[in-house]
This record gives sequence, structure tokens and C-alpha cells, in this order.
Amino acid sequence: MRARPLSFVAVLFIAVGLGGVLWSAARAQSTSAATPAPAASAPSTGLTQADIARMLPATDMGAGAFRTNNPHLQPVGSRPATPFDAAPIPHNPLAPDADPVGARTCVACHSLEDMRASHSLHVQSFDAGAAGSGPQAACESCHGPGSEHAKDPAQPGAIIAFTHGARTDVPTQAAVCLGCHAGGARQHWLGSVHEARGLSCSDCHNPMARLSPEGVLAKPSINEVCATCHKDIMAKFERRSHMPLPEGQMACTDCHNPHGTLTRPLLKTDTVNETCYACHAEKRGPFLFEHAPVRENCLNCHDPHGSNQQTLLVAPVPMLCQQCHTMTRHPNDLQVPTNLGLGPNPDERLMGRACLTCHTNIHGSNNPSGSRFHK
Amino acid sequence: MRTHPMSRAILLALLAGGAPLAHAGDGSDTMRVGDMQYGNGLDPRGGSPLMTPDAEGMSWLHPGMLRTPSGALYPYPYTLAGKPVGQGGDWTYWGLLQLGYIHPGGDRNAEFFRQYTDWKNGAALGLFAMGFDNRRTGQYVEFRGSRISGDDQYYRLRAGRYGHYRLEAFYRDMPHTVSTNAFPIWDGIGGSNLTLPAGLTPGGSTIAAVQQASAAAPRRTLGLTRTRTGVSLEGELYRDWVGFASITNERRDGTRLWGGPMFFDYPFFTDTGSPYGGDGGIMETVRPIDFSTTDVDLGLRRVGKLWHFNALYTGSFFRDRKSYLDYQNPFLITNVIGVPNAGPVVDGEYSLEPDNDYHNLRLELSRELKWRGELSLAAAYGTMRQNDALLPPVNCTGTLGFAAGPLQQLIPCDLWNTPAALSRTHSGARIDTRLFDAKVTYHPRRNFCWHADLRYYDEDNKTRYLAYNPLTGQYGYISENGAQGSVVPGETGIFDNGYYAGSIVQIASIPFGYQDTVLELGAEWNVGRSDSLSLVYTFDHDRPRHRERTRLDEQRIKLSWVSRSLGDATLRASFEYGDRGGGRYDYDPYAAYYSTSMPGFVGAGGLPPPAFTVDAMRKYDMSDRKETKARVILIYPLGDSSTVSATFYGNRDHYDALVGRQDTRSTGFTGEWDWQPGPRTNASVYLGAETTRLKLANVADDESVVGAAGRDDPRFGGPLYPLENYWHDLDRERDYNAGVTFAHDFGRVRLDLAWNYAQSLSRLNYDLASPGALTFPQAAPLLDGRFPDNHYRSSTFDAGLSFPVTASIGVRLFGRYQSGSFLDWHYLGFDDTLVYDHRVYTDRGPQVHYRATLVGAMLSIKL
Repeated sequence: MRARPLSFVAVLFIAVGLGGVLWSAARAQSTSAATPAPAASAPSTGLTQADIARMLPATDMGAGAFRTNNPHLQPVGSRPATPFDAAPIPHNPLAPDADPVGARTCVACHSLEDMRASHSLHVQSFDAGAAGSGPQAACESCHGPGSEHAKDPAQPGAIIAFTHGARTDVPTQAAVCLGCHAGGARQHWLGSVHEARGLSCSDCHNPMARLSPEGVLAKPSINEVCATCHKDIMAKFERRSHMPLPEGQMACTDCHNPHGTLTRPLLKTDTVNETCYACHAEKRGPFLFEHAPVRENCLNCHDPHGSNQQTLLVAPVPMLCQQCHTMTRHPNDLQVPTNLGLGPNPDERLMGRACLTCHTNIHGSNNPSGSRFHK
Repeated sequence: MRTHPMSRAILLALLAGGAPLAHAGDGSDTMRVGDMQYGNGLDPRGGSPLMTPDAEGMSWLHPGMLRTPSGALYPYPYTLAGKPVGQGGDWTYWGLLQLGYIHPGGDRNAEFFRQYTDWKNGAALGLFAMGFDNRRTGQYVEFRGSRISGDDQYYRLRAGRYGHYRLEAFYRDMPHTVSTNAFPIWDGIGGSNLTLPAGLTPGGSTIAAVQQASAAAPRRTLGLTRTRTGVSLEGELYRDWVGFASITNERRDGTRLWGGPMFFDYPFFTDTGSPYGGDGGIMETVRPIDFSTTDVDLGLRRVGKLWHFNALYTGSFFRDRKSYLDYQNPFLITNVIGVPNAGPVVDGEYSLEPDNDYHNLRLELSRELKWRGELSLAAAYGTMRQNDALLPPVNCTGTLGFAAGPLQQLIPCDLWNTPAALSRTHSGARIDTRLFDAKVTYHPRRNFCWHADLRYYDEDNKTRYLAYNPLTGQYGYISENGAQGSVVPGETGIFDNGYYAGSIVQIASIPFGYQDTVLELGAEWNVGRSDSLSLVYTFDHDRPRHRERTRLDEQRIKLSWVSRSLGDATLRASFEYGDRGGGRYDYDPYAAYYSTSMPGFVGAGGLPPPAFTVDAMRKYDMSDRKETKARVILIYPLGDSSTVSATFYGNRDHYDALVGRQDTRSTGFTGEWDWQPGPRTNASVYLGAETTRLKLANVADDESVVGAAGRDDPRFGGPLYPLENYWHDLDRERDYNAGVTFAHDFGRVRLDLAWNYAQSLSRLNYDLASPGALTFPQAAPLLDGRFPDNHYRSSTFDAGLSFPVTASIGVRLFGRYQSGSFLDWHYLGFDDTLVYDHRVYTDRGPQVHYRATLVGAMLSIKL
């Protein structure tokens, strides 16, 4: 098999990687094994605002003045610290004894972050919580109880962090998000390919600023988020025939649910075809006469991400069709350039849309005389 | 068009609204197909004018921007300050209006310039966006809209209350240009009845007259516009129960290239000496697109501490306002025995897509288990149905065909052009689907997890149609509206126990379907803090119905490695191997649906019927296959302000087929460097390359054997499929992509530049065992083993200058220069003529070279 060299290289690659993994395992931190799953945190002590105030750094770096001078931000003191009362405070396995300190405490240092976050739908929802009667959370609803962090802001892991190099591991990060966002579109997150690849929610989302028109994304658009890893797929959309992603009319998530689904390619429907039928409903039929590979899987003939053939076909016609059809007479002849329009023997099986000029109803025919998709 | 009572009810329910709802956690968008992106060619992101980075950055505690866990930089946040609405209220708002003028120039009608963008000279709305927020109640209203033309625009409204409900409504027009180089000869383009212009006689025009009509035909643009409207409401109904309902309607209006067969022309492409030419005819016509689809989605979910429940209903109702396409045939169809036909073949006809209804109900239930485990069950039932009235087998009048001695092949149209000629008058087509999925996942240790997944899917095609004419007692149909029967003796498409006793035709529909069971077992091991390995085994057991194999089994194994231990880099690598086999391959599983299975079938000439196909053919969805895939994705932070990312990938598929697809391969690389030194500056460079190849083999039959002894021999290497007629095609393609972006804010002026380049080169080689593989063996000396190389190239350069005039008013000047070239051998010669003997084409193909420009000026007003 010609693929063997690649297989060999891949196996070698994996083997080398495995060695690296085992080497790094030898120096793994013992703390990682003992970290329990995050859960809602119960304060170890009943802190008062006075306690929190004592724990604050010596300066708020001008945050109070900044807020005072900004007419668009409400003064910190004028609102409940944690208005979004439904949000639990997750347990930080790396700071198990930490207590919640309240948003006012956080904003004392992170005032600019607070302003950026206030433009994000995610944080706006906290800001505008209904009852205003919850514990002192908001920031801590995602970052966990902040007392350890407030005491020593430079201590890694004292706060649940979602960015590169954070001590918080990815499962803990995801568990925090799923604390509110479980179920629904994320019903199949566990075991999905993105979960298995160690992606964190914050690889694709950034709830701390409004960087995209919708979706609290980590980049300005859905397609740019997906292209962070799937550039080869995005490149296909630059080909001759493609879906209108580069033109801004579609997003990867029109067909795929990156949070996990019942299909391996993360399609939103039960099968490939049902996803395609969602927009190409006319292809759904069923037809009186079906074309077997069409009904089986649209991908037998089309590459939905882009192709240099007409209509997203995976191979030029008639060669595409000749991979299956060799019945007597016309389907099985070798087509050559002399059969083109400029040649001495023009042949409709090759010119223009080739087979499809006659077998036009190739997706299925509803005509009583259409068994060969002629009608 | 039929109406949808259910749709109406849901719309009313949506509009009624008003119930106090509480705490909707988040949206269901990523569960529903479509409408996740609102943008256009002017602004693909759908909000770019709002994306001006704020010089303050994200934090005063650290410089620069933080990165995603995988290492990609987050963009700098934008200036997006709200203003209070009135005095002392809780509402704030922000808004931006950007409008101006755009002017496309150069080859503005080039297909690839306007494939999905309706560039028009005139006023354009770049963006109108407004947002209102009530910081006390959590209520919000957001609106976005943009308009390039009446066929390219979107408007989107979102309103709701955080944690309570969300209402969405949208309207959008999306253009799709199919061809800007079409020259159809018919009148009535866009309708269901294509008629020939004056000067052409249906069924009796000279070739010269058709050439003249084609040359005189005006250039047309073919394409369609999708007009979508929708409204949805989502909110918490009771405690943890969240519901959503949406209804969407799409109108699709336009034209596409279509066909028109009147039997072959290639075997008869010789100078008959007659100005009318002879035998069959081929037409590339234009069909109407006049679709309407209404989609209804309903959902109910509950997320409890242990149980997660999802119920989803999807209904889709497709209606085609044009159920047929009739077209007039200009050519004189003659028979091969040289006697006059009983009548001219004047009309051709297609059935267009029938109306259809689709329902799918899915229930999902998950329960959290100890050891961070989860049991997830899902079951779905779907049905797609249509029951359109069937067209009669032909729409001809009078009598077609010919009579000569024993060849009494006359087709009395009145016995076939009526619904009474059908075994039933309506389709009665239906496919039901069933899905069941069970998955269990456990994390018994912090560094180890495993999962098992069992998926069962069944697609049951219940359509049964018998092609039987009760008026004549015959089976089969009238092929190509009578054309084939007007050319070739014995090949009308009919089977009976008399004249057509040797006719091989399909007499019934084939209810294709399949039952697929997939078992997946996987385990993941976290090695230390920074590495994880996973191994997934999959067994796929597929039982296709009425196909070449009754059983297909594929085993796959996938090994993945995620590492964060290589410095700051994140590496994701995977290797996958699959091996597909199955039961015995039956090269002719369709005999029961053909006349050869009928009592009274007598092979023509007293011979057994020809072999259906060569026994060595292995259709690629049914053949044995060995597949190897490897992929490495690397994201590497380079310093504080830049990121290098790269992807290496390769796929190898080997099919065990002497005839059919044999081999596919692809190997590729992408690399990107992103640089973001500060809010004022960002840049990126992108490169990509990919090679692919596809190899197939086929064997031309020896047509001299089709009517002789040995024709029933399916063996590869037998008399019907001799080895000397064996041939191969090898299609190779190389793709290159490159891109550069640069943006810098000079203080008074912000400059943005972008260049995007795509190039594809493809070469099709062939080899043949002997000229017997060719239709015209005499052409063999002219062949050099390859087709002319195809290529596609597109280069787009964008530049923009933005500068403020006042604190709230700014100006953006921008331009685009796009050039490209294209060659596809399918269209070679079409620039000279679209008429070749009894063939008339419509589309000359995309423009070979083009240079198009776009300039524009926009006034931006912060509201």
C-alpha cells in the first residue's frame, strides 16, 4: 500500500511524542492527581464587607476615579455585588479554602476588565440580574472564590483562569461554564471530538469583551474562530465552487454544532443528508426513482467545503460518474480531449455538464419515465 | 402552494408571547441548521465598522492581550461605549450608521466576482446597528442591517431580557450567481415552458438555423436569490424548563442550467448531407427555481442537577411552484434505419422537484453519574413524504416512432400522455428514519476517562412504484419523451410480451435504504498536567438495502495526542486507520426491478440479456477500502504579541477495485503568522498548499458483442469487457492559498490592507490498453495521454482608509481590485460556438480572464 510511508511516519511521530509524554509525566506535579471536580463553593467563613475591605490591595489603581469619571458605568457601590442570583460560585480545586469576596473587590483592581466585560452579553447578564439577592459573586461565578487571589494576586491557580498558561486545567474550566450552560446545544459535549482534543470553552469564546457581533466569541466571527484550527477547511472555501462563507452569508455553525452532536463530524442533524436538506429541501424528496449514492450520502459526490469542479463535485464529470458506471455502451468509454468541443469528435458525454446534460434529475426523478433521471 | 396550519399556529403562538418567562440560560442556535451568520461581501463579519480597537486595551494590570488556552491571541476589545437614553433612566444605547456609495467597475459581471454578492452601482448601507440595554432589568434590543442591493441585504433584530427570554426576527436576501455567460436560445426563460424563437421549427430546424439563433441569443445572467424570513422565541417556561419555537420561510427564486436529452448525438455525428443533420439531440436548457420552504422548530429542554432533557421537533415543508419544465426541441430526430418517423419529436419534459413534508422528533436524556460520568440516550424518528400528482409518461400528441417491416415501433401518444396511463396517479413516496444512540462516559480518575457509544440508524424507503400502463398493458415508460424510440429499434423504454419482449427496462422503483450500527469505544489518559493520549476504536456495521453488498463492516482506530508540554505550544495530533470490508459483492443487485425478471422476457435475437455491468466493478461506497488519516495542528505563541499556527495533514484511501475508484490521496499544509503588537496595529500572513489525486479505472465494452453471443459474460477480460479496452484516469490537483492583512491606526487615519490569493492547477491524465477503450479509435494517434490543464486563480486586494471628521462622524474610503483566470476543458470551444451538430449548449462557462474593481465611500455616524 502506498500509504505505508505516511503511516510509518505517523507512528514514529506518535512514538516520539509518547516518549515526550512519559518524560513529562515523570515531572508532573503531584497536585494534579488530587484535584476534585469543581462544584459550587461554600465559603469556609462568613466574610463581611469589612473583612473583604481589609483583604484588598493597598490601592485600587485609580479604578474608583475612573468609574466616577465615566458616565456610562454605574458606581460600584450603587449596585448589588452579585445581582445574577442564579449563578453558583464554582469550587476552585487549586484554592479549596478560598472564599468569595464580591465583585466590588474584584473591580477595585480589574476596573478596565470590568468595563470591557460590561459590553459583553455574558457579563451584562450578570450585571442585570433579576433579584440582586445572591451571594457576593458575579466575577466569582466564573473565576471561583477570590479571597486567595486577593491576598496574593500573583499566586498561580488562586483564581480559576481561562487563558493560556493558566494553572486551572481545561476540564475544570469547562466544568465552570457547564455549571450554567449544560444541556441544550451542549447536551453531547462529553465525549465530543472537541472535548477529547482538550479544547476549553474559552478557546472559542471570550465572555470578557464583546469581540463579535454575536456569540461571545474569541474572534470577530464564527468562521475566524473555527479557522484557528481548521485553516485547511477554510482554504477550501476559496475554491471555484463553494458555500458563501467568505462572502459572510454562512458560518461553519450553520451545519456543525461545535459543542458536540450525535454524529462524528458534529452535524446538527441525524445524518449528512438531513443537514444538506435543511437548505436544499428540494433534494429531500423522496422521489419516485432514487439514485442510490445520492440518497445514501451527499458527500459521495460533493465536497460541501469547496471544490474546483462545478457545483462542489469531488471529481470532474464524467469521471465522477464513471467511478461507478460501466454498463454496456455509452457509460464506459474513455473520454479524451478529441471529444471536446474543439476536437474532431465532440461528445456530449464530456462537453459542458457532461452526463448531467441528459441525466439532469440526478438527485432523483419524480417522473414516471424518469428511472434514468432523464425526465 | 399548500398552506401549513401548524406553521400558522406556531407563528400565532410566537406573536402572542407575553407570558412572564424567567431564566433562559442560553440560546439554542447551535442546535438549529442555518442563519448563524449575517454578513455580506462588503462586510463578511457583519459588524466590522464597530470593530475599532480601543487604545486602552483590555487591562491596566498587564500589557497586551491574553491568549486562549490553546495559545491564540484574543483581539483587542473595541470601543463600544453606551450612552444613557434620556436623563436618569436605566437604558443605555449605542449605535452606528454607515452608508455611502459603491461603484463596481471593470469586468463587473464576471461570475467569480459576483458569485454570492450582488454588486451594484449606487447607494449602499454598510451597516446600521443599534443596541439598547437596560442595566437594571436586563432588557435589551439589538438591531443589525446592511444592504448592497435589493437582492443582497439582511436585517436582524434581537430583543429580550437576560435570563428570561429572547425574541429574534430577521429578513435576508442572499444572491447566488450561477452563470453570467449564458445564451439560451429559448423564449420563456424563468418559466416552465421554453419555446423556440421565431425562425426555429420545433422538431424540424436546420443546424444552421439553430446556430444562428444561438449566436443571436442575448447574454443572460442565471442565478437565484434566497429570501429568508424568520422569527423565533426562546425562554424559560417553568423553573428549569426552557422552550423555544421558531419559524422560518425561504423563497428561492431564479434560474439554473438544466438539460434536455433527445437521445445521443455522438454516435451519429457525421455529415449526413442534410442541413437538418440527424438522429438524436442534446440540449442544455434553463429551468426555473420557484421554491418555498417553511421550517418549524420546537424545542423543550430541562437542565437539572442530574438530568438533562432535550426534546426537539423539526418540521420542514417544501413547495415547488413549478412542477415541470417543458422545452421545445429544435432538431429533427431521425431513426437509424432510415425511414421517415411517424411524427417529429417536438417537446421534451422534466418533472421538477415535488413538494415534500418532513418531520423529525428527537428526544435526548442525559444523567450525570458518579466518577464524573454521564449516561446519554437519544432517540429520533423522522419521516419525509411526498405525494405529488404524477405527470403522464409523455406530453406528446399524435404518433411518434416509425414502422418498417417487422419494426412496428409506433408510439401512440394518446395512450401515454394521460394520467390514465399510470399505475397510480400520485407518488406516494415516503422514507422513514429511526435513530437511537446510547453513550456512557466515565472519568474514574482525574487523569483517565473512557466512553462507549452505540448508534443505530435505520432509513426505510417505503416508496413502491410499478411502471405499468393499464391502457396498453405494457410495463416501462417512454424514454426521453419518445426520442429514443424514434431513433433506435426496440428501445422505446417499453416492455411487453410482444414487440418489446426483449426490451431491458426498469419497471419499478428501487427502495434504497440502509441500517447502520456503530459501536465506539474510547479511552483518554492525561499524562501529567500537559499531555493527553486518547485511543478510539470504532466498528461500523452497515446493512445497505438493494445494493451491491448486503453488509459493510468497517473497523477504525484513532490515536490522538494533545500536548501542552512543548514550550508554550499546543499540539494536537491524530492518526487514524480504517479498514472496510463486507459481504459478497453482487455486481447486479437490481435484476428484480428490471424487465429481465418479468415472465415473457425473451432476449433479443434469442440471446440471453447482456451482463448488467462488469463483475470487477466496485462502486466506491461499497468497495473494500483501507484508509489512513493523519493530522497535526500546532499553535505556537511567538513572543508576547504574535502567534504561529500550522496544520499538516494527509489522507490516503486505497480501494480494492480493478474497475472503479482505486485510490485517493491528499496532503496539505497551512501556516499562519498573526501579529498584534498593540491596539493600533495588527497583521497576519497566511500560506497554504494541498495536493490531491484520484485514480479510477474502467473498461469499455466491446459493442460488437452487445448483440452477439458472449454478451451475457460479465467477466473482466471476457468477450464483452475485454482487457484491451481497460483504461485509467488520474486526476491530480494542486491548490495554493496565500493571504496578507495589515491594519494600523496612524492617529488621524486608520489604514487597512488585505490580499487574498487562491490558485488551483489540475491535470487529468489517462492511459488506455488499446484504442478499443475509445469511442472513436481512429483518434488514438492524436492523443498524448492528458487533458489540457484546468486552472482557477483568484487574487483580491482590498484597501481602506478610515478617518474621523468629528467625534461622531467618520469617513471610510475603500477599494477592491480582483483579478482571476479560469480554464475548464469542459467549455473549450464554447466561446466560438454553442452548437455542435444536434447539440445546443447555453453556458459558455465562467470568464477566462477578468479584472474587476470596486470603489466606495462610506460615511459613518455614531448615534
